[in-house]
Formats: sequence, C-alpha cells, structure tokens
Amino acid sequence: MFRRRLAGVLAAGVATAALLTGCGGDDATADGPVTLKVLTWEPGGTEYWKQVKTTFEAGHPDIKLEMQSVPFDKYPEVQGPYITSQSGPDVMANNAGLELFDRRNAYVPLGAKAAEINKDLVTYSGACEGFDTSKPCYGVPFSYQGNVLYYNKAVLTAAGLDPEKPPATWDEFGAACEAVKKSGKTCLALGLSGTFPAYWDFPEIARNYLTEEDVRALLAGKLSWKDPKLVAVLEKLAEITTKGWTNKNAPSITMLPDGADIFQRGDAAFAGTIISDAVNWEAFGKALGDDKLGVTRWPAIDPAAPLAQKFSGIEGAVYGVTQWSKKKEAGLEFITWLAGKENGELWVKHAKGQPLNKNVDKALLPSSPAFLKIQEFVAAPTLHAGVMLSGPEADALARGWQQVTLGQLTVDKWADQMQQALERSPTKKQTK
Amino acid sequence: MTISTAPVAEPAAADAPTAPARPPRRPAHAREWWLGAALVLPALVLALLFKVVPLVRGVITSFESSSGFGGSEFAGADNYTRMFDDPMVLTSFRNALLVVATLPVWIVVPLVLALLIHQRAPGWKFFRAVYFVPYTIAPIVVGIMFRQILSPDGPVNALLRGVGLEPLAIEWLNGRNSALFSLVAVALWSFFGLGVMTYLAGLATIPEETLEAAYLDGAGFFRRLWSVVVPMLRPTVAYWSVLCASGVLIWLFPLIYALTQGGPGDATMLPEYLVFLTTFQFLDRGYGSAIGIALFVFVALLSIFSVRHMFTEGTRKPR
Repeated sequence: MFRRRLAGVLAAGVATAALLTGCGGDDATADGPVTLKVLTWEPGGTEYWKQVKTTFEAGHPDIKLEMQSVPFDKYPEVQGPYITSQSGPDVMANNAGLELFDRRNAYVPLGAKAAEINKDLVTYSGACEGFDTSKPCYGVPFSYQGNVLYYNKAVLTAAGLDPEKPPATWDEFGAACEAVKKSGKTCLALGLSGTFPAYWDFPEIARNYLTEEDVRALLAGKLSWKDPKLVAVLEKLAEITTKGWTNKNAPSITMLPDGADIFQRGDAAFAGTIISDAVNWEAFGKALGDDKLGVTRWPAIDPAAPLAQKFSGIEGAVYGVTQWSKKKEAGLEFITWLAGKENGELWVKHAKGQPLNKNVDKALLPSSPAFLKIQEFVAAPTLHAGVMLSGPEADALARGWQQVTLGQLTVDKWADQMQQALERSPTKKQTK
Repeated sequence: MTISTAPVAEPAAADAPTAPARPPRRPAHAREWWLGAALVLPALVLALLFKVVPLVRGVITSFESSSGFGGSEFAGADNYTRMFDDPMVLTSFRNALLVVATLPVWIVVPLVLALLIHQRAPGWKFFRAVYFVPYTIAPIVVGIMFRQILSPDGPVNALLRGVGLEPLAIEWLNGRNSALFSLVAVALWSFFGLGVMTYLAGLATIPEETLEAAYLDGAGFFRRLWSVVVPMLRPTVAYWSVLCASGVLIWLFPLIYALTQGGPGDATMLPEYLVFLTTFQFLDRGYGSAIGIALFVFVALLSIFSVRHMFTEGTRKPR
C-alpha cells in the first residue's frame, strides 16, 4: 500500500516537473505565436510602449511581446543578475556607449546586418564598439539623447533677469545664480545621490577642456584623471555646489525624481537634464507651461574651446537580442522594426522624443518652443563624455562630488579617487 | 603552609559511573537509524544545495578575475590582496565595525520594552501591536519614507525647531557620522519589533512566581531585569544577539539602497552594498565575490562566540 502511494507521489512529481520544464521551453518550436520577453525601463513612457506593443503585434501576428518594465534608476540592479546568470529576457536595452560596451557579451553582435538595419538612422555609432560602426554593433537605437539646461522663465523674470537671454558664460551664470538666490529661489535644482546627474553634468563642463580625441582617450582609459584638463573639469563641477548655486539638500537626494521635482514645482531657475525619454522639455513643459520653459546650452567656461558650442549627443536606449535567447530571429525582427519609420513616428507622437530615423514625417514633430530650440543644438553634435565613464568612474565621480560639496574632500583627492576608479575598471583595463 | 608535589590520587573507582553493559543490537535499532537518516536527508540535501554549493561557488569565483560580463580566469589571491589597498573596502569594514558597536542598543532596547509589555505596563496591549508594525513594512519603503522624514526640511527637523532644539536639527543624511547612525537608527526602528516579540516569547517561559518573588523581595525594575530576567533569558538573548550581529551586517541593503546609496561619499558604505556595487555595477564579479567572502568571515567571527554560547547552553544537562 505504502509503496503504491509512494509510486503515485513520485509519478505526480515527475509530471509536475515535466510540465514546468515545458513552460520554460522554446516557444519557437511550439504552435502559435512566439512570445518575446523584453526588458525595458520604458524610455518615452508607458503610453509609448503600449503603442509599440499594439502596433508591432498587429503587424507581426506571429510574435507577441511580453514587457518587463523596470524603473530607470533600478534597471541595472535588475539587469545585472540576468546577465550574470545568462538567462532572462530575449531583448533588452542599455544606454549607448560604455554602459552597453560593458555588457556587450550579453548581446548578439549584429554583424553585417547592423548597417542594413540602421540604414535610415541619423547615427548608430553609440551601439557599436568604440563608437566605430566598422566594429561590432550590438543593437538598435531609435532616439537621440543629450544634455541641456532647462530654465523657468518666470523665476528668471522674478529675479530681474531677461528670460530671453539666459546666461551664456560661466560668469554670467554665477551672476544669475546670485540674483535668483536673492529672490528666494534655488538657482540650479540638483540631487547628487546616485550617479545622476554627475553623468549628465560632467560632459557639459568637459566640453570646455577636452577635444574629441581626449574624449576617445577617456573611453580607452588612456587619459589620466590627474591630467590638468580633467582636474579643471572637476574643479568647475565642484564650483556648482560649493558656490551655493544649488539646493542645500543636494547631497542626500536623487536627481530623479527629487531634484527634477524642485524644478517642476517652480522652486528653481535651472535644471540640467536630458532631451528625451524622461525629465525633458515635454515633462517640464507640462509642469510649468510650454511658454514658461526655456532651454539653453550649459554656459561656456571657455567660449573659444573647440567643443564649447557643441551638443553632447548620444543615441538613447539601444535594444539588442540577448546571447541566451532561444528566439533570436524573432528578436532581430523586433529590433529591426524599432529602428524603422513606423516606430520613429510612434516615438515622436507618443514619447515626444527626438527621433533618429530620417524618414519620420516632419509634420509630426512637436511645436513646443523648447523642442524647436533643441533642434538647433542637436545640429552640432559632439561625443558625450559622460557615457565614456566606466561603472567605477561614474560612481566615484558622483560620490566625490557629494563629498566635495560637503567639504569632506578636496578636488585633488577627488582626482586621486577618480584615477583609482579608472585603474579598477575591468573593461578599461582590458582596452588599455 | 607547604604544597605537596605528590601525585593526586585517582578518584575511587566506586565514584566513577559504571558503563552500562551494551545491549545486543536489535534489528529495531537499524530501522530507527534508517528512519532517522531518511528524515534528516531532505534537510541535509537542501542545506547542501542552497547553502554549501553557493558558498563554494562564491569562493571559487573570488579566485577569478573577470572583465565585464565576459569570461573569467584564475587570479590566485589577487582579489584578496587587492582589498587591502582599496580604500572603499577598508572604509566599508570600518563602517561595519561602527555599526557593530551599536549592538548593545539593538539587544537592550527591545529587552526593556518586552519586559514592560510583559509586566503589563499601562497601554501594553497597544504597544505590543504597535511595536511590531514597523517590522511589517518593507525595508525599501522604510528607506524611501525616512529619506523624506530626515531631509533638512523634513518633519524631524521641523519638530526639533518647533520645540526649541534648533541646534539638533542637523542634516541627518549629509554628515559623515550622522548619516551612518541615522541609517542604523532607521534599521533599529524597522527591526526592533521582531526583537520585542522574540523576548516576549522567551519571557513567557519564565515562571510568574519567580518574578513575583523578586518583586516581593523588594527588587526594583532594573534589579529584576538584571538579576532575574537576563540570567533566565540567556538563551533568548544569545539567539537575538546572533541574529542582530549578523543582521546589522546583512539586513541593511534595502535601507542603504533607498536611503543613502552608500553616501554621502562612502559614509554609509557597508560591505554588503559594496558587494552588490562591485558585482553588478562595476561588473567585477571576482572581486565582488572576494568582498562577499570577507564579509562572510567577518560575520562568522562575530557570531561564533554567541553560537558557541548558545550551543553550550542548549546542551547543558539539567542539574
């Protein structure tokens, strides 16, 4: 009797195991549509991604999309374990540049198909090793990203400043900050906890000191952080907080959402953020009113520097097919569609973002004055120095900035810490 | 007085307990042994699979060097020697020691509160429920909540300013030491309810008459706490101490993540957060594993004394 029961229990166990194994198997061999798991932080917002799913599935009845959405600031923590365990989503995203290159072994190189897939994009070099399209490319970008300085015209006016002539130089910015402070508002909304906005603000200062060659040397780990040019960049970053231009609680709050909230509430004159995906002209325009939102380049420290009047641009999120996916063909079909005109137009319509696809109908582009101004900046791009930083460098940059702000660290010590971070960057060590 | 150097006589054979004659082995004993083994086996397999195997894997990884998420190669003891030159690692362990120094508070505060509840102090039913509530809130939510509460213009500082204690209204999460101790205070707020419950369970085993007798003998609250409750609660205190000693070093991750992310600078960087940062953000798995193993040894060394004490208490034969 006991043996018969035991055999029954064992049989049930085996059946359950078989069923579970079947659930995790390759959909491609089963009847019906293939289900693609897509890991995303939903750049452009939930509505845009709903449209992506609906539109793509309508045009590709053999493929279903299963979105795993993770907040932007939590994304690396969710993605890291997937990559370490070589399992999980079939398609996933990383920011173009070093973040993607660090994780390149998680993605299938597109090989010769890269040029074909991306043929209609303004640029896709951020998806390729060393920003070089002749080297392996790991995915598809569809949006353009970069940093600008947004400002609240009403706050500038209340401070006695001309909102149509925002500060163009570092000195003018300092003077504007003093005026804004006197009017009882914060000059620059900032949150230093986490790697943002160090990652965003660093390239805007660096453009005044570095050439494109220097930026490439930074990517390769060949530019020392003790180099006077980089030390000067750190000094100017430190000035932003030590001169009292920012909110007092900057070291203990995050830029997203805390710092951006200060600007959106109308409590700060300026916020240095990005042009697409989130905390952009669209979000700020909604909060403050399109007519009250201004946008400018970060003030130039040395207006004569070769990159001072350029735009630190970078492709936005790059979507690639994972090495471990058993549905690579379907994954490739999806990312090819992402690079296309149909998705480009969805991106403009629903995410109000800067498209990369050249064939997007110009009539669809937003009419916001801030967006139109950004079009002028984007026309003169340069390499984005922030995306050249390795994980340890970005972390040390953010932590050092916190400490310098609190008077716990000197700029020279900060440069030492940056150099140490560079030396313990696994991927930069490899490229030396 | 002289001291004899003569060998001490062996105790009389009659004093020694005589070994009982071993009964002949019976088939029933063998059956019992197999049954015992069968009952222990699932736990043993689970422990091996989910404790020993990951630990061994972690040790192996700690001897490898890896670049990004690519392949890895044997690195000998490089990852371990590297730690001694890495200021972030040294700071994280220094911070860990500071956190460990707060252990007496973790042990005593819940004990005192549990005793007050046990003695049915006014409002004890209310406090018994309320103390446990923070433990039921997800630590990540606690962290987000306290980031607002402790901000320079948050409710804590507003209250301090309101009652005329303006000098105490500091930037809690910005200072080098205040940030770390704010983190510990938030953790204590989050976990002390569990300690109160643990102690209440232990107190339930102390006979009422013993406490009553001490009270009638004129022992005050602290006298009863020190001379009656603590000795009789020793196994529970030891258990809670082990839990806290390891807990303060491996429970704080969600709080650090939501509250400070290890900052400002490295002020609240603890080894467990550094393991995560090194492995998943710096993509240095081998080094991350080495820091993890160092943390494991650190926690084991801290816990070993309490565990040994608990084992001695647990195996002591009743007199």
